[in-house]
Amino acid sequence: MNHPTALIADDEPLLRDALARQLAQAWPELRVVAQARNGREAIEQFEAMAPDICFLDVHMPGISGVEAASRIGRRAHLVFVTAHDQYAVQAFAQGALDYLVKPVEMARLADTVSRLQERRAAALPVTQTDALLRQLAAQLGRAAPPRPLSWIYAQVGQALRLIPADQIDYLRSDTKYTAVAWRDNGQPAEALVRTPLKELLAQLDGDHFVQVHRAVAVNLRAVSHITRGSETATIHLKHRAESLPVSRTFVHQFRQM
Amino acid sequence: MPAAVTSITRFDAAVLLRRIAVAAVVAMAACGPLGLLFDVPLPALWLRAATVGLAGVLAFSILERWPRRLPKRVARWALQVGGVALAVPFTTLSIYLFSTEVGAPPFWAVPERLSGVALLTMAGLLLGPWTAVAALVRQKDALARHQALAFDLERSELARQALDARLKLMQAQVAPHFLFNTLANVQALVDVGSPQAPAVLRSLTAYLRAAVPQLHDGGDTLGQEVRLVEAYLALMHMRMPDRLRYSLHVDASLESILCPAMTLLTLVENAVRHGIDPAEEGGSIDIGIERRGTRCLIRVADSGVGFSQSGLPGTGLATLRERLALTFGGDAQLRLMARQPQGVCAEVEFPALESMP
Repeated sequence: MNHPTALIADDEPLLRDALARQLAQAWPELRVVAQARNGREAIEQFEAMAPDICFLDVHMPGISGVEAASRIGRRAHLVFVTAHDQYAVQAFAQGALDYLVKPVEMARLADTVSRLQERRAAALPVTQTDALLRQLAAQLGRAAPPRPLSWIYAQVGQALRLIPADQIDYLRSDTKYTAVAWRDNGQPAEALVRTPLKELLAQLDGDHFVQVHRAVAVNLRAVSHITRGSETATIHLKHRAESLPVSRTFVHQFRQM
Repeated sequence: MPAAVTSITRFDAAVLLRRIAVAAVVAMAACGPLGLLFDVPLPALWLRAATVGLAGVLAFSILERWPRRLPKRVARWALQVGGVALAVPFTTLSIYLFSTEVGAPPFWAVPERLSGVALLTMAGLLLGPWTAVAALVRQKDALARHQALAFDLERSELARQALDARLKLMQAQVAPHFLFNTLANVQALVDVGSPQAPAVLRSLTAYLRAAVPQLHDGGDTLGQEVRLVEAYLALMHMRMPDRLRYSLHVDASLESILCPAMTLLTLVENAVRHGIDPAEEGGSIDIGIERRGTRCLIRVADSGVGFSQSGLPGTGLATLRERLALTFGGDAQLRLMARQPQGVCAEVEFPALESMP
């Protein structure tokens, strides 16, 4: 039987070396033929060396271990390596994927090695991973549920700035852009975001930002008071002289106020 | 007027003296119109009026404390005012009884003296209870003011405690991901007997001591922040020696100023997590801390992937803004800017205040 070969991908050199050393102990016949620092290199090295087994760190810069795995597909046995991250461990524990948790323990590595050896000896095909990987990627993606933006990225004069959402007074639609009226250290300022109002509003906290007009959304925390007309209303702001119109379509939001 | 308040709980000579002085002044004021009706020299008249006033003060002060327990139906203020009202005719009669020379007819037999008793009693009854009521009102006012002040103090103390608790909560939680990754590296160094291992362990200990709220020993100076960031960067450099370069320039005179815990670390962690770590080739982080007049300016500039690729900053920076606001009111600023050709520059500016030893 020819010597089994392996690729190790991890962005941390000390951990690549440590895993190589541990493998030399747990599986002396295994030859580590390639090492990669990120997902892109892992794919390149795999294409060049065609190792039998790939040890892939889940969290790598650029292309992640999970993405690299789906590119490698069924052409190698895959073993994922992850630092203790509750989401990742949960995701792996549910699937039939091989995984190791950092710091890698020898006993755990020995288990993995004997499983791989059995599969190789029985010449079993590589586990069908496509669906599992999709599931895994989805789960890891879901690990951080999308929160409303607490910052938005905007053009202030010549500079690109990050504007804290709670410093925004109101948003005004400006064709493809949105004008942001905010307070730069307490001073009224204007900025421009290259996102249409509707899209931007969808990402902001709905408890604070409400649309009051086809082209205007206001931060409720910046409102000082509201005067009602017969079918419309006018919003007066705490930090600014200008007032904002509330159109008939949106006036119902202030019925109870 | 805290003295008026304390007199409620303990006998206070100063209060009694002031009451006597007030009685004397009221007596003197009463002597003006009374002097027109009496053919007694003014000093003697004033002495009589002052005696009446003094008796009122005594009644007022005695009834303030005695009896110690009152039946529910009786209000102490009413008792005090009533006491003053009773003391007036009683004292007036006594004065006229005792000031009658031996052998002279009793005062009720002398029309001038009888009208004197009546006038003095009337004046006393007019002025005494009113003065007593005024004193009571002032006392109540002072008590209310004192209590309001005490409440204010208590409130601000509670607010400060709540703030401290929030600060403790807001201190960065050590992410298990970071911790286990770092431990894996330390283990790798130990396994091969690397001479680096002890230094790295020391850095990890220093980092944990600062970053785990329960281990954080208070005292937030910029110097401590710099030590913490040095430990953090040493750890990260061990983990990504090929991808992380950094420089640190600190004006040494700023080391003792007040700097909320985790300020610098939040900026640097952010630069690593959102700038350097997602970049395949990594990048550099340059940290500069300098004086700007009476203020301190912290700049953390990285050459990482920038906001656009790594998404927007997370809760860490939002929390930092809040923390700065809690510590410095509106006198601190946090600015984030995109750098050319890539990367992010974060600036924090706040007053350079010497931290209390």
